[in-house]
Amino acid sequence: MIGRADAIRGWYREQTPISLATGLAGAIAIAVAIIGSLVVLVVGGLTPFEKIVASATSGAQTAVLWAGLLSGGAAILSGALVYKKMPTKAARETAVSGAALGVQAVVIALFYLWFRSGEKFDTFVRINFSFDILGQFASEFVAGARNTVVLAFSSELLGMVLGLFLAMLILSKRAVVRAPARTYINFFRGTPLIWQLTFIFAGIILAARLPIDVYQAGILVLGLNAGAYSAEIFRAGIQSIERGQIEAARSLGMTYLQAMRYVILPQAVRRVIPPLTNEFIILIKDTALIAFLGLTSSQRELFGIGRDAYSETFNATPYFGSVLGYLAITLPMIWVVTKLERKLRSGLTGIVGM
Amino acid sequence: MTPDGALVRLENIHKYFGDLYVLKGIDLEVDRGTVLVVIGPSGSGKSTLLRTINLLEEPQEGRVIFDGQEITDIRTDVDKVRTDIGIVFQAFNLFPHKKVIDNVTLALRKVLKMNEEDALKRAHEQLEHVGMDHKADVYPSQLSGGQQQRIAIARALAMRPKLMLFDEVTSALDPELVKEVLDAIKQLAEEGMTMVVVTHEMGFAREVGTRLLFMDDGKIVEDGNPRDIFTNPRDERTQSFLSHVL
Repeated sequence: MIGRADAIRGWYREQTPISLATGLAGAIAIAVAIIGSLVVLVVGGLTPFEKIVASATSGAQTAVLWAGLLSGGAAILSGALVYKKMPTKAARETAVSGAALGVQAVVIALFYLWFRSGEKFDTFVRINFSFDILGQFASEFVAGARNTVVLAFSSELLGMVLGLFLAMLILSKRAVVRAPARTYINFFRGTPLIWQLTFIFAGIILAARLPIDVYQAGILVLGLNAGAYSAEIFRAGIQSIERGQIEAARSLGMTYLQAMRYVILPQAVRRVIPPLTNEFIILIKDTALIAFLGLTSSQRELFGIGRDAYSETFNATPYFGSVLGYLAITLPMIWVVTKLERKLRSGLTGIVGM
Repeated sequence: MTPDGALVRLENIHKYFGDLYVLKGIDLEVDRGTVLVVIGPSGSGKSTLLRTINLLEEPQEGRVIFDGQEITDIRTDVDKVRTDIGIVFQAFNLFPHKKVIDNVTLALRKVLKMNEEDALKRAHEQLEHVGMDHKADVYPSQLSGGQQQRIAIARALAMRPKLMLFDEVTSALDPELVKEVLDAIKQLAEEGMTMVVVTHEMGFAREVGTRLLFMDDGKIVEDGNPRDIFTNPRDERTQSFLSHVL
C-alpha cells in the first residue's frame, strides 16, 4: 500500500514540463471561469438583484471570463498538439485532462458572455434571482422541506411493506395467487401517478366523503404506487439469491416462510438496498405532485411553497428555492447509494461487512 | 414398521425435468448402517436420485419411504421428515450472512425449537467434531472451501439425523482440500451413520463404502460390494466407466 504523498511524488516524476503546463492551464481556466465568476458575484452582493446585474456585466467579470477563455484556449491548443508525444501515460493523461478542462472553461465563458449580452438579461436576473424574496419565505421553505421529508418517508415505509408483501405473492407458484398481485402492480406501474393521485383523491376519497385529508391521501397514493415498484425490486432481489440457499434451508426442516425470513430475505434485502434507495429518490421528487391536489398552507411541501410564493410575487425565484431544497435532500442520498453500490460490487464485503 | 427394516425405500421412481427423462424406474432399499456409494457418469441421474430421498426433487411417479413413512404421500409433513435427513451439497450452501456458529444453530433454534443455550452447546460440540470450532465466530466467506464444507457437515449433523446424504461434496474443492472433507465423512461412517454418498472419488468409494451403486442413463446398472465391483465389474458400461476413471 503506497501513501498518498508517495503516489503524488510518483505522478510528478512521470510528468514533463509541457504536460504540467497544459494541466495547469486547464485547471486555472476552469477555476477562473467558475470560482472567479462566483467571487465577482458574491463580492458585488446578491441582493437586491440589480447588484447581480451590475456585477455580471462589470469589467471585472469580463476580465475573469477572458482570462478563462485565454487560459482554456491555451490548454486546448497545447493538449491537442502534444498529447500523442508524451513519454509516459501519466503525462499524457495530464495533457488530455488539461485540454478537457480547457474546453469546459471556454464553453462556460462563451455562454456567459453571450447570455449576459441579451437584451432582457436584467429581467431574467430579476425573475429568477431576487433572493430577497427567498428571505421573505424562509420559514415556509423550512416547513415545506419538513413536509416533503415526512411525505416521502411515510409513503416509502408504506411502499416497502406493501412491496415485500406483493413480492411474496408474485413469487407464488400458484397462478391464482400471482394474478391479483400482478394486476395491482401492472395497474400502478401502467398509469400516471398524477392520475392516481387525482382519481383516488377526487374520485374516491372526496366522492365517498372519507375522513382522509389531502396530505394523508398523498401519503396513501404515493405509498400504493411505491409498493408496486418496490415489489419488482424485492422480487428481483429474492430471485437473485442462489437456489442452493433455499435448498439448504428447506433441507434443515425449515418451512418455506422460515427459509424466506431467516435465509433468503436478509440476503435479498441487502442486495436491493441500492435500487430501493434510487426508488426512494424518485419518490422524494414525486411528492411535488401532491401540490396539485390543493394543500392547506401548513401542509404544503417544497414545490407547493415555491408555486404559491410565485403566484404571490410573480417572481420565479421561489422555484429556485424549491430546487435547492430538493437537492439538499436528494444529493446526500445519491452519495449514499453510490457508496453502497461500490461496496456491494466489491464482492465478499458486500455480504459480510454490512 | 420395525426399526430393523430398511431406512430408505424407493419404489419405481420416475423423474422428468421437462422432456428430460432422468430417473427411469428406480427401486432401492438402504438398510441402517449402510454406507451406500453412488457412482456413474455425469448426467446418469445419481444426484437427482439422492435429492429424491429428501424430496428436494419430487418424482412424477413412484414412492419414497423413509423410516417406515411414505414421504411422497401428500399428507406427510415433509418439513418434519427432513429434520431426520441431513444433506451436504457440492456448493456448501452455507448462509453467507450468518457467522459459522449461527449457520449451525439457526435450524436448531427455529426448527427443533431448542433454547439458545442448548443450541450453542450442541453447535460448538458439532463444530469441534469436525475441527472447526475455532472458526465459530467468522463468516463463511473468510474460510477455505474445505473448511466451509466441514461446517456444512456439522450443520447437517447438529440436527442428529438418521440419514446423511452427500452430493458430490468434494467436486468444488481444490485438490489439497479434498482429504480433510473425506476424512470427516469417513469418521462419520466409522461411527455407524447411515449414508448415501454420490461421489467421483473412486478411492474413497472403495475404501469407505459398504455398498456401491453404478448408475447410467437413469437406471441402476450395478449394485453390490464395492471391492467386487471395482475388481470384477459385470456390466459392460461399468467396465467402460471404471476403465476411464481408474
